[in-house]
Amino acid sequence: MNYSNFTQNANKPFVSITGQDQESISFILSNTDLSVANAIRRAMIAEVTTMAIDLVEFENNTSVLTDEFIAHRLGLIPLFSSDVDTMIPFTSRECSCQQYCPSCSVELHLNVKCDQESRSVTSNDLISVHQQIKPITSESDSGILIAKLVKGQEISLRCIAKKGIAKEHAKWSPCAAVAFEYDPHNRLRHTTYWVEDDVKSEWPVSKNGELEEEPAEDEPFDYLAKPNKFYYNVETTGALKPQEAIIAGLKVLQKKLAFIKKNVEGIAEEVGTGGVEERMF
Amino acid sequence: MVMQEPAVQDENGFDTYVNGGVPSTTGPKIEVVASNESDPGAATFCIRDEDHTLGNALRYIIMKNPAVEFCGYSIPHPSEYMVNLRIQTDGSISAVDALHRGLDDLINLTSHISSTFQDKVQAFK
Ligand SMILES: [Zn+2]
Repeated sequence: MNYSNFTQNANKPFVSITGQDQESISFILSNTDLSVANAIRRAMIAEVTTMAIDLVEFENNTSVLTDEFIAHRLGLIPLFSSDVDTMIPFTSRECSCQQYCPSCSVELHLNVKCDQESRSVTSNDLISVHQQIKPITSESDSGILIAKLVKGQEISLRCIAKKGIAKEHAKWSPCAAVAFEYDPHNRLRHTTYWVEDDVKSEWPVSKNGELEEEPAEDEPFDYLAKPNKFYYNVETTGALKPQEAIIAGLKVLQKKLAFIKKNVEGIAEEVGTGGVEERMF
Repeated sequence: MVMQEPAVQDENGFDTYVNGGVPSTTGPKIEVVASNESDPGAATFCIRDEDHTLGNALRYIIMKNPAVEFCGYSIPHPSEYMVNLRIQTDGSISAVDALHRGLDDLINLTSHISSTFQDKVQAFK
């Protein structure tokens, strides 16, 4: 096969970072197709592995909240999941154990009794047996509120945090929000605005629009044009750093492709009646 | 660490795919959809446990191959977790080769994006 190796020249995508802080990163991906840009977006939202509480065993709960209500809140607390694959090799679905084991899970404990007038139970009260995999912390806040107790009330429970992906439950998504935009001036007419009087005043162009030339008033519609520049803003929950989530998303795609590639071997003889090899070459 | 490797096999020895919590299909990861076509340049592949994430990107990258005349994908039914990928070439290469090439190209493309992104993040600080 000798057709021009386009991934080596023409269609080499470009990346430029436009902003970054603790929780989010903005970047522009250009010179590639919408399908590729969308695959990256989808992969990082739904298929990056993280840890999240999945099983809760209550020993005591005399708070006003029901067990399942608290269990649900616990599940949504982000746990530090950087390099999770090196520490926890399997998601619980892939693991060969019956329910959970150290290869697919981590245990956490919460034991709080209110001796004062009242108190808050937060993610800081959750104690993990694992060194790294524990509820996220930041200097600016006092933990994530789980419940409030008054004098004499008590919550004591044991949690199993499992490794998983957001396709099963959104609590495993490392992304809190992924903003994705292309063609801010709607040159391609991929969308139709609902307008009362004036499009321009009713639909202000996004900030990304400043980076692209505004179309002329009488510009003819180019029906062959394709989107080429994709604006992302990835905000994570804290389970992963934003850049980690993006890199992990790309890695997910690569693993999927490599796995299909491995399985394509030996499929050749199924195609065509005479078998591909002898007929073709 | 082998994320996509199946852990379970059914009674026929087929791998059962577990993808997140989505109820999964059973059968080979990829197979050629049966047809009476005699042209090795044309085939429909059924890829299990994949969706638009890979289907559309794969369609694009295979279409980029000048030897490919047609490539399209579909998800035949929303409750069956699989993608059908149709490839027709001009005859100079087989459909399987086109698929192979597409997989390689998309791996190269994503790893290029990944390395470029990491470089840019380093430089941005
Ligand atoms: Zn296990």
